[in-house]
Amino acid sequence: MDNLDDLKAIWHTAKTDNLPSSKEMIKLVKGFRGQKLRKKWLVIILSLALSCLIIIALFIGQFKLVTTFIGGGLMAASALLLAATNVRSLKRFYRLDDCSNLEFLAFIEQTRQNQIYYYKKTMVMILLLCSIGWGLYLYEPVRQHTLWLIATYTGAAIYLAIMWFIVRPRTFKRNAEKLNVITRRLESISKQLK
Amino acid sequence: MTTFEEIYNRYAPQIFRVCLGYTNDADQAKDLVQETFISVWKNLPGFRNQSQISTWIFRIATNRCLRALEVAKRMPVAELPFDLVETREESQEEKLNFLYQCIAELEETDRIIISLELEGLPQAEIAAIVGLNSGNVRVKIHRIKEKLSQKFKAHGQFR
Repeated sequence: MDNLDDLKAIWHTAKTDNLPSSKEMIKLVKGFRGQKLRKKWLVIILSLALSCLIIIALFIGQFKLVTTFIGGGLMAASALLLAATNVRSLKRFYRLDDCSNLEFLAFIEQTRQNQIYYYKKTMVMILLLCSIGWGLYLYEPVRQHTLWLIATYTGAAIYLAIMWFIVRPRTFKRNAEKLNVITRRLESISKQLK
Repeated sequence: MTTFEEIYNRYAPQIFRVCLGYTNDADQAKDLVQETFISVWKNLPGFRNQSQISTWIFRIATNRCLRALEVAKRMPVAELPFDLVETREESQEEKLNFLYQCIAELEETDRIIISLELEGLPQAEIAAIVGLNSGNVRVKIHRIKEKLSQKFKAHGQFR
């Protein structure tokens, strides 16, 4: 095209003088904290701490029934599984500092697949381990007081039912809608690079 | 080692123009510049010179553009009419706005490619940023230029 220089000349007339100065930008970036990654770090630290706490409690506490140890072990395992999933996810994000648009699109697609896998498999596994563990763990402390036993298990059952049948499907639905929008856009962008 | 300040002063205007070409929205382009340099700030100590620093920064910026979902909503739904012949002399600002409008009608990756081309980046570098081979990029640039040229001619900009 003969007129590319004209287009370039027009392109370079865009005003850029209202951009922050380098000093302002440094102030801005120093104040920024990666919300998403910070959340992941927090989940990792808290779930590891919880897992340690459960194991310590099992050793320090004067528990006699094997169900308590199995229950504690299952809860610790679910916390460890949650930590491991987030560590894996964090590692992927940290590796993403220098990639082309094509690689980036592949990364987003993989993230989407991982999210679906998490909701359909990992989350179910974590909740299942935690629920069974919780049920077993609670038995020993409350078994001698019928009222406590009934109250504790009813409370736990209601809480787990809300998590299983209301919170989890809602979260999944909300995220699924977001993921569907991303999928449609990704498909269209990926086609452009073929 | 180049400092963050030097990098910012050198690349911020270029990144802003590329993001503006993609979004056609100055505020959103400024946000994307900010996001880009937050990423540069965080990752600069670990930058291992596997690619040129400019390639690295433009990759971050264009990936941010692709990720910005809400951009799609602001794009025009209808094509600009081809038969709209303007005879009056337009100001630079009007010409620039028309260029942005034309770019906004392109597909996402074409918007990125032409913005990088207009910014004056070598085609080999554009290929490294987008992830295509140089031949593909050359063909794409040729086609995009054709499209833009037709629109500008129809608009009475080119002789």
